[in-house]
Amino acid sequence: MTPPHPASGRPMTRPLAVLPSWARPVVAPAVLVLVLLAASPLLSSYWVLALTAVTIYSVVALGLGLLVGRVGLVSLGQIAVLALGAWVAARLTFATSLPFEVILLITGMITMVLGTLVGLPALRLSGLYLALITLMLAGAITVVLTNTNFPNGGPGFLGHQELFTGDPPVRRPDIAITDEAYFRYAVVVAALMFALVWWHVRSRPGRAWAAIRQSEPAALAAGVNITTYKLWAWALASFVTGVAGGLLAGSVSKLYTYQFPTIDSILLLAVVLMGGIYSLWGAVVAGALMKLLPALLKYWGAPADLLLILFGVGVLQVLLTAPGGLAQQFPRDMARLGRLLVGLTRRRAPGGEAP
Amino acid sequence: MPNWQDFQPFIVSGLALGGVYSLSGVGMVVLYRTTGVLNLAFGAIGGMGAFIAWSLINNLEWPEVLAYLVCVGFGAVISLAYGRLFGPPLAGRDPLVKAAATLGLALILLGAMSWIWSDKARSMRLPTSRWRYQVGEVLINWTQIIALALGVIVTVATAAFLRRTGLGTAMRALASDREITATLGVPVRRVEAATWLVSGALAGASGLLLSSLVGLDAATLTFLVISSLAATLIARLRSLTVTLVAGLVIGLVNALITPFFDLAPYRNMTPFVLATVALLFLARHQQISFARRYQ
Repeated sequence: MTPPHPASGRPMTRPLAVLPSWARPVVAPAVLVLVLLAASPLLSSYWVLALTAVTIYSVVALGLGLLVGRVGLVSLGQIAVLALGAWVAARLTFATSLPFEVILLITGMITMVLGTLVGLPALRLSGLYLALITLMLAGAITVVLTNTNFPNGGPGFLGHQELFTGDPPVRRPDIAITDEAYFRYAVVVAALMFALVWWHVRSRPGRAWAAIRQSEPAALAAGVNITTYKLWAWALASFVTGVAGGLLAGSVSKLYTYQFPTIDSILLLAVVLMGGIYSLWGAVVAGALMKLLPALLKYWGAPADLLLILFGVGVLQVLLTAPGGLAQQFPRDMARLGRLLVGLTRRRAPGGEAP
Repeated sequence: MPNWQDFQPFIVSGLALGGVYSLSGVGMVVLYRTTGVLNLAFGAIGGMGAFIAWSLINNLEWPEVLAYLVCVGFGAVISLAYGRLFGPPLAGRDPLVKAAATLGLALILLGAMSWIWSDKARSMRLPTSRWRYQVGEVLINWTQIIALALGVIVTVATAAFLRRTGLGTAMRALASDREITATLGVPVRRVEAATWLVSGALAGASGLLLSSLVGLDAATLTFLVISSLAATLIARLRSLTVTLVAGLVIGLVNALITPFFDLAPYRNMTPFVLATVALLFLARHQQISFARRYQ
């Protein structure tokens, strides 16, 4: 029995109501993944590369959105974590002949351990101070990476050699050698990461994080182990960001420090806030804002600097008026527009002309 | 091991840069204490001012002094405008939200700078950089002296201002509690506006000095704020004296590492490492379960 619509009195049409309750939240993401997989052969290589970047940065945004939206921890150093993940993955592909999936998994684990080791002391601070100390740590990591460079098959622990013509590119999985196949591969891995985070959010850790975000003393009184769950969130975010770094290493093949500029950490926070931190869809929107918009602007020949201005305005707008970001705002605005249109047509329908 | 001779020129350049870090650090701390806003757009405001001054001098052929005043004035005006527009609606929010909002301003300014002035490389040279003289083996120019002196003078003057004047007292009261101060009849918005204005002027002055000491580049000027931020963090966004000392130490250490060839590539880590160590040291008694918010 569908409940009547509060305004019109008619039964509401809920097309997903026929499905069992566990399946409903899966439909829209599954459709998105299938559309992306099916559309990949139709796209030119420019858009395949752009969408691969969107996929990878969605996962990075997922990690930051988890920290900001679920636990209330703001990190300004996620791009440095991504760079760390890319470094580890590149080093592993040159050092071992493991399958790419295993390398991604190990990369995620190593990044998780490194991120948690860094986070352990930083988590003693919170709020503004945590954000600033992560900015400082990211700066330090960037300086180190500028000097060590990324592995390109050279000798030694760092695996970087200066004079080498025809760098061997970072190995891709055997089933995804071409850009198009790699895009599909990335979509599947990203979907797995989203599923992992979704599963966490929906179960015990998610409830603990929600309690911590509301009030730490209240969470403690309710028996939530704050230290464990904060570290858990930090570790999970580092893990997915590390996997994203591994995907990025395979995607671009040759890694350079300039691919991870400091400003990207700030842009990432901007797009995550704009996309929306209270919904996992926000991470998808954030990835698109960060990587699809620049590709579009380049395609149209518009200056890329406009994007910085747009993101700046977007951050101010989100913080002032729309804390839920686009993921919350857009459906609401669309619903409002729909109601408006329905209202207009209905008024005109009986008499033919509006009174 | 490099000898004493190698260090001398770097002492001068390090102290000059440290002076600017202190100058902008003091501007940021005063603004944070009074309004609760950590202005992360500090570097971008100064950078934009410096670019405008460059255009006035080289394209419109204004007298240099006037252009420099415009640079400082631009900083003051843009900072005041931001404070008037976005200060009140965000006043009750978490300091983190206020700081994130200034990131929005920083992005807008950075985008505008790279859009308008990205066509070619530019350089700004204050006339004071041409007046130089020799002390021992080292060439010192007046820009460096001004940078160091301004850092020290502004710190001392601000501290005295906060202690001795009525406006300073109101600012200190605001730093303690905004609501109670408002109840006592202090015109909160006007005091905050004055703080935004002064802090913006300091941003303009720092931008001008940095563009001459470091270079006229949008991204560099915007992100040099991180070094000043390190100084303010070591001072826990509280003490002006510690900000001054921390700024000078960061500038000095950063420069003095240069003669060590093995370490030199890593010298830009100085502010990050010093700030991280200081913060972690200050937080050593904190527990993760009750991480402090430092309002």
